[in-house]
Amino acid sequence: MPIDSPAGRVGSEGSKTRIRRGIIRRYGMTLVFLALVAFMLATKSQFGTYQNISNVLAQNSIIGIIACGMTFAIILGGFDLSVGSVAALSSVVGATLMIDMDVLSIPIGIAGALLACLFVGAVNGLLIAYVGVNPFVSTLGTMTVVRGLIYVATNATPRFGVPYGFTTLGLGKFLGIPIPAIIFMIVALLLGFVLHKTRFGHYIYAVGGNAVAASEMGVNARRVRFAVYVLVSGCAALAGIILIGQTASATPQAALGYELTAIAAVIVGGASLGGGSGRMWGTIVGVFLLGVIANALNLFGVSPFWQPVATGLILIVAVALDGYSGRGEFASR
Amino acid sequence: MTVESSGAGKRGDPMPSGAALRAASINKSFGAVVALHDVSMNLVPGEITGLVGDNGAGKSTLVKIISGVLRRDAGLIEFDGTPVNFGSPAEARASGIETVYQDLALVGNLTVWANLYLGRELITGPGYLNILDKQTMASNTREMLKQFQSNVPPMEAPVETLSGGQRQVISIARAAAWGSRLIIMDEPTAALGVAETRAVEEVILSLRRRGLSLLVISHNLDQIFRITDRIWVLRRGRMIGQRVTKETLPDEIVSMITGAATGVTGAN
Repeated sequence: MPIDSPAGRVGSEGSKTRIRRGIIRRYGMTLVFLALVAFMLATKSQFGTYQNISNVLAQNSIIGIIACGMTFAIILGGFDLSVGSVAALSSVVGATLMIDMDVLSIPIGIAGALLACLFVGAVNGLLIAYVGVNPFVSTLGTMTVVRGLIYVATNATPRFGVPYGFTTLGLGKFLGIPIPAIIFMIVALLLGFVLHKTRFGHYIYAVGGNAVAASEMGVNARRVRFAVYVLVSGCAALAGIILIGQTASATPQAALGYELTAIAAVIVGGASLGGGSGRMWGTIVGVFLLGVIANALNLFGVSPFWQPVATGLILIVAVALDGYSGRGEFASR
Repeated sequence: MTVESSGAGKRGDPMPSGAALRAASINKSFGAVVALHDVSMNLVPGEITGLVGDNGAGKSTLVKIISGVLRRDAGLIEFDGTPVNFGSPAEARASGIETVYQDLALVGNLTVWANLYLGRELITGPGYLNILDKQTMASNTREMLKQFQSNVPPMEAPVETLSGGQRQVISIARAAAWGSRLIIMDEPTAALGVAETRAVEEVILSLRRRGLSLLVISHNLDQIFRITDRIWVLRRGRMIGQRVTKETLPDEIVSMITGAATGVTGAN
């Protein structure tokens, strides 16, 4: 950068290349995903069948809904490890109420599940935003406590007997599209709108990028953080309610490990764990990229035990590429 | 708060009774350490005032008290003839005192317009949705920055991709944009090269032409002599005195800073 150029002119060249790089970064994973889909369509005839595609959609929608919420937490510069336990809490509380209530069992079940999960989200939010506990520690804590309480309350035994009609939510289809996928689409559109169009979403990027500066300029960083952790739990609650629809039972072991899959999908989708960057579209692509790879391994007859290996490798490659391009930008500045 | 793309919204208001800001007998201690002892200072409206002193002289403490970051232990501050006692920077800002922080208070991953409007975003559509009016903010920001520089950076560029000088101009433009009447700058060019320093100084001088009052802390005496109208000198928590910039020389200011001069009074 020439030192003798006036302040008004320095840097606009650099920022144009930066914007171009940003576009590659933003849509790079989409291209990888499309290439993978094209490869699968060309090599495996089963892949393109209605049955297979609707399976992929149904299987990945629950993780997708959780990942939508996780996107907010990661852009904020944190993450939430408790989402798997919270989804299980939702499933157990909701299903138990549906089984035991004589009247209005389904609405009461849904309301109970939401309330329980929003309470956990509020605890996370209080700890992180107001007490100042690190997100890793506080959500690891609630993750363990909630799962433990579920095991205590249920004796770690599933219960069956959810009204049969409720399985439409988990297994049914509308216009040929699995209902969980439709719910995922609505959640992604809604939260994408909040994230990219509203002031609240804007403040998530501001607090995630530089909380001190945002606060100096009058952004209430604590309130933003609190709201995000409640919202993440709300998404996990919804995922748990759909899980009831898939299993028709209260399953204490539900959604084990979902938190890491959701975080992986968001990171593969281009968000940075450092906060301040990420897009809802990237998360959707990340979810289905991981989902299609699992499906591909399955179609090629690879043991399902290889699936976490693949997910882990993709995560490492995605983060390494991000780190590499980040270093490049830093060096060119 | 209304948005004025022309920048200084209250420009042209009659400023009553001499000083835009009068600080009298300010005292501030941190435990046993006396940071400011009976410090008094007047800012004349429409002037650029320099505040100089050695490290630890109390410059930052005094400025933080004026901008609402710290509370004084004793003393009086009048802004525009009204006694004020700010409990927070937001209160100072609401009264028209803006501060350009040394770290600039910019969010690197946000765009140029987003930083200019940070905390004051324009909203469009139904109120409960709080949808950002990005287009209006971007075009207003372009107009605001055009007043300061001929080549405005792209509105959608994240500010972390801009040069230090461009970032400084954004930070200053933001401080000048909301009807502010006094802008405080702490080392506005500390991290900049020679050319960028000159460009930022031009921006500061253009703010004076609009009639704003400015208070500039700087270690750079050459700069103080280039841009200020009046210089106040702090030494070890006491105000040593003031000089009209045109009527003094760097040697005299240096001796006031170091204590080599004696018998200097602070009276006008």
